[in-house]
Amino acid sequence: MRRVFHTLTAMTVLSLASPVLAQGTLRIGMTASDIPLTTGQPDQGGEGQRFMGFTLYDALVAWDLTRSDKPSGLIPGLATGWSVDANDKTKWTFRIREGVKFHDGSTLTADAVVWNFDKLLKSDAPQFDQRQASQGRSRIPAVAAYRAVDPLTLEITTRAPDATLPYQLAWIGISSPAQWEKKGKNWQEVAKEPSGTGPWKLAGFTPRERAELVPNKDHWDKTRIPKLDKLILIPLPEPNARTAALRSGQVDWIEAPAPDAVPTLKSNGFQIVTNVYPHNWTWHFSSAEGSPWNDVRVRKAANLAVDREGLKELLGGLMVPAEGFMPPGHQWFGKPTFKLKRDLAEAKKLLAEAGYGPGKPFVTKILISPSGSGQMQPLPMNEFIQQNLADAGMKIDFEVVEWNTLINIWRAGAKHDSSRGATGMNYSYFIQDPFTGFIRHLQCNLQPPAGTNWGHYCDKEMEGLFDQIRTTFDAEAQNKVLEKVHEKYVNEALFLMVTHDVNARAMSGKVKGFVQAQNWFQNFSSISMAP
Amino acid sequence: MLSYILKRLALTIPVAFGVSIVCFMLVHIAPGDPLTSVLPPDASAQLQSEMRKLYGFDRPLPVQYGLWVMKTLQGDLGVSIATGRPVASELGKALGNTLMLAVLATMIGFLFGCLFGFVAGYFRDSWIDRLASFVSIIGVSVPHYWLGMVLVIIFSVQLNWLPATGAGPGGSADWAWDWVHVRHLILPAMTMSVIPMGIIARTVRALVAEILSQEFVSGLRAKGLLDFGVFRHVVKNAAPTALAVMGLQLGYLLGGSILIETVFSWPGTGFLLGQAIFQRDLPLLQGTILVLAMFFVALNLIVDIVQSMLDPRVQRA
Amino acid sequence: MSMAAPALTAIAAIEKSPGYWAGVMRRFRRDPVAMAALIIVLALVLMAIFAPFVAPADPYRSSMIRRLRPIGTPGFPLGTDELGRDMLSRLIHGARLSLLMGVTPVFIAFFVGSAIGITAGFVGGKVNTVLMRTIDVFFAFPSVLLAIALSGALGAGIFNGLLSLTIVFVPPIARIAESVTTAVRKIEYIEAARASGASAFRIVRIHVLGNVIGPIFVYATGLISVSLILASGLSFLGLGVKPPEPEWGLMLNTLRNAIYVQPWVAALPGLMIFITSISFNLLSDGLRSAMDIKA
Repeated sequence: MRRVFHTLTAMTVLSLASPVLAQGTLRIGMTASDIPLTTGQPDQGGEGQRFMGFTLYDALVAWDLTRSDKPSGLIPGLATGWSVDANDKTKWTFRIREGVKFHDGSTLTADAVVWNFDKLLKSDAPQFDQRQASQGRSRIPAVAAYRAVDPLTLEITTRAPDATLPYQLAWIGISSPAQWEKKGKNWQEVAKEPSGTGPWKLAGFTPRERAELVPNKDHWDKTRIPKLDKLILIPLPEPNARTAALRSGQVDWIEAPAPDAVPTLKSNGFQIVTNVYPHNWTWHFSSAEGSPWNDVRVRKAANLAVDREGLKELLGGLMVPAEGFMPPGHQWFGKPTFKLKRDLAEAKKLLAEAGYGPGKPFVTKILISPSGSGQMQPLPMNEFIQQNLADAGMKIDFEVVEWNTLINIWRAGAKHDSSRGATGMNYSYFIQDPFTGFIRHLQCNLQPPAGTNWGHYCDKEMEGLFDQIRTTFDAEAQNKVLEKVHEKYVNEALFLMVTHDVNARAMSGKVKGFVQAQNWFQNFSSISMAP
Repeated sequence: MLSYILKRLALTIPVAFGVSIVCFMLVHIAPGDPLTSVLPPDASAQLQSEMRKLYGFDRPLPVQYGLWVMKTLQGDLGVSIATGRPVASELGKALGNTLMLAVLATMIGFLFGCLFGFVAGYFRDSWIDRLASFVSIIGVSVPHYWLGMVLVIIFSVQLNWLPATGAGPGGSADWAWDWVHVRHLILPAMTMSVIPMGIIARTVRALVAEILSQEFVSGLRAKGLLDFGVFRHVVKNAAPTALAVMGLQLGYLLGGSILIETVFSWPGTGFLLGQAIFQRDLPLLQGTILVLAMFFVALNLIVDIVQSMLDPRVQRA
Repeated sequence: MSMAAPALTAIAAIEKSPGYWAGVMRRFRRDPVAMAALIIVLALVLMAIFAPFVAPADPYRSSMIRRLRPIGTPGFPLGTDELGRDMLSRLIHGARLSLLMGVTPVFIAFFVGSAIGITAGFVGGKVNTVLMRTIDVFFAFPSVLLAIALSGALGAGIFNGLLSLTIVFVPPIARIAESVTTAVRKIEYIEAARASGASAFRIVRIHVLGNVIGPIFVYATGLISVSLILASGLSFLGLGVKPPEPEWGLMLNTLRNAIYVQPWVAALPGLMIFITSISFNLLSDGLRSAMDIKA
């Protein structure tokens, strides 16, 4: 019966839609609940960038996503090269790639790049867009000024010497000024028909339901011209719905399959693709006045209470237990002395030393989200940790907010009303470079609203280390500083360090040629669909 | 007849007015400043006051309400905070999807409800009655979101016959009445039809039993008059009420679709409402609820008028 | 889920002979279905009250090495949930919040709605118009929509959930109360009592309350099953009880991801809601026919 049914379905599909399917359409079920913003700076976190950022757009600096065997590095993107002035370390020169066309046919120039910076940073510019600015502004805190020297030369001045500028610029997708003019200078209209320089073009989208991307056959990098005919993105925030969609053949690929569903998916012939990538899953503590986490003993107690092996069981093995803020074996790991292991006796002892006990129970509130890019399986995981901490005598209350809301709260800071008095939030981090890995979380001048130091942390020693990172342009020497930073992160238990994701994806056997880079972003150009 | 319609219309206007006030106030009973969720976190004080003006929050409540009603009457329901898209366009699509589901569910429910109700009422107090009544009480007692889950377990997880979620391979954008799409509609529609089935069955059973217990009907039956005549009499007398209940059920299904649409990820108004709630997207929440409630008010009005046309006795009540 | 439009055909005041209640009791006891429903409801209530003594294990105690065990696992007769907690114990403890969230709103709405309806019906005139038109506005919302709109705007939590549900159930009860009171008021003996100069309060207390509370009560019992389903529905959507509390709707929500692994364990909390809801419905039906009220 089942086979007959399948055949029938297959026949119907063939008769109706076979011309499209046969030529290679890849349908992906995302974890986001909506189509990410299409105008250049996507919302929906790292997943938004993955699917609606580096597909439609290119940045000046790009990630090398062609290898799966080593962490990805930076390569030239829309800039063919860059250099920092030997005398004035705040002055950078970027050479713009010649002859790059936007999807609308207009040509990329240094002026267009300046126009894009204004779009994000200059709130009185006509093209300023609040929606994109709130996504992009915090990505480039180093940028102080910029100008087009000539049509193919861009000069950027940073606030202070900052060796991490190229990493920051890798976030900024360049959208077409001409398209904005053509659409009546209205971003709302541009969103429907955006124009970038990326390997994919947006063919259309239905909010909350699907987006359709087609190849940009004229992309400047011939190796990145997509083999597929179509890439379809479908928001499926519910893990169950994603699994169901994959099993029933509605999609060919799902992001973050529910760990519980992995064994059945495997036995049904689906491939599970994983790879380590620079991600961590933490509770970001508040250092605001009155936060119980201001006491290092409390932070350590919580870190010692977490049963990371048990959590791995919960996730069906799809995680790497945290030994620090960076994944184990990372080049910046260093030699921290505080070991992240479950030790309830020690946790209870530390908590008692901090003054908590039967007379003064430990109670606090943590913000969590039910889903979200990089958040893994937030509800059961947080519930599990809640139980772990309860074992050590720490009572945690949760405030559950939707993922995009959590991002906004994260930007607003622990002292903002929207944080609702919580002293921590469950947030998973993209930790790919010195800035996103360390600096942005804890630098004094990045306290909200200026940046994303959500907890309002400010520490003199840490400031000194951060300054060293920015002013050390030699890679080897910079790594040494980064090791010191990481040791301080771990030894002072500045976060609740729980786990690293392995970026699991489940896909049908028909998906060929995908190379999973050790990165948050992926290259979809090499993929084809077996008939 | 006309005077009844006018009277009924006159009664509806203050209710619609009240409904709009309740919807308007939803944003204001929500804890916190409604603007905190609108404003970017790094908004300057100047931007804040500008936004206040833009949204009209600097004016007294009654003025705000008046402006809101004016805009709403022109079809402008504001802009979604989460997506920046107009609420009206988000709603339009979703409403179509929910209507499709709810109408189909009501039809299924009406069909089976009438069948069970009629059989039960006709063979009153027999074992058939007990069985049919039991089925209908299950219909009104079952938590339908659970029933949806159970159907998914049986038909999607175990048997793999029908898809568990969504509105078709391409979402609802390219909906067509072919098998590829319709198979997505089967489980949610079946789940949704259970409540109207139960309620209509219970109503019809009571109606049929009452009509049959009228003296002259039992007289007819005793005389051995053809059952068909009795049947016609029953249908004629029970139809207006049964249809009215069906109309109202359609309204309840439209308004209550959130649970089923959540289970099946059906891209309708309920799904939209769920997203609006969790993103604290108040304009979207307000707009969705206003439109659904107004739909219900209008449906009530239509049902009353149609019923009065079918059955003049109603007008006197 | 939606309540049937409450029958607004005035419920005839019950002529009360001295043996009326005895007759009701006798008829009720002879109804096997209603008696069975009553026993189940009582058992559920007792289970909720004595949950800590009845439950074999701690409902909060999780363990990752025994998560999602099937029904019939030794030591875990109904299996374990996604965090390895004993399902049987969680279902037993779940009765507490689920019943509380389901019954309380109807209970409060019964008093508030009756007070509004009886006042409107007895005083009549402008008071009636103002009260009942306000009630009409809330009645103009489909019940599920109103509950979700209110708790969605107010935010998740037990108190907000209870408040929203109470607001949902006041209008139908007030409407019934008003129509019954209006019908009773027109009955001659009350007119006579008024003519003889008895105080309004006395008339309400003796004549009106005595005659109308019964029908309103029966109607309200019929709402309990709706309320239970709705309350658990709110938790199912994440708008009611918060984790890790055991509550049937919330359990159904968190177990939903396990339907590919342990489908029947995942379905258990819903079964509990179903059993409870159908028992209350059958109980209400039995009560209604025993009291011979047409609704």
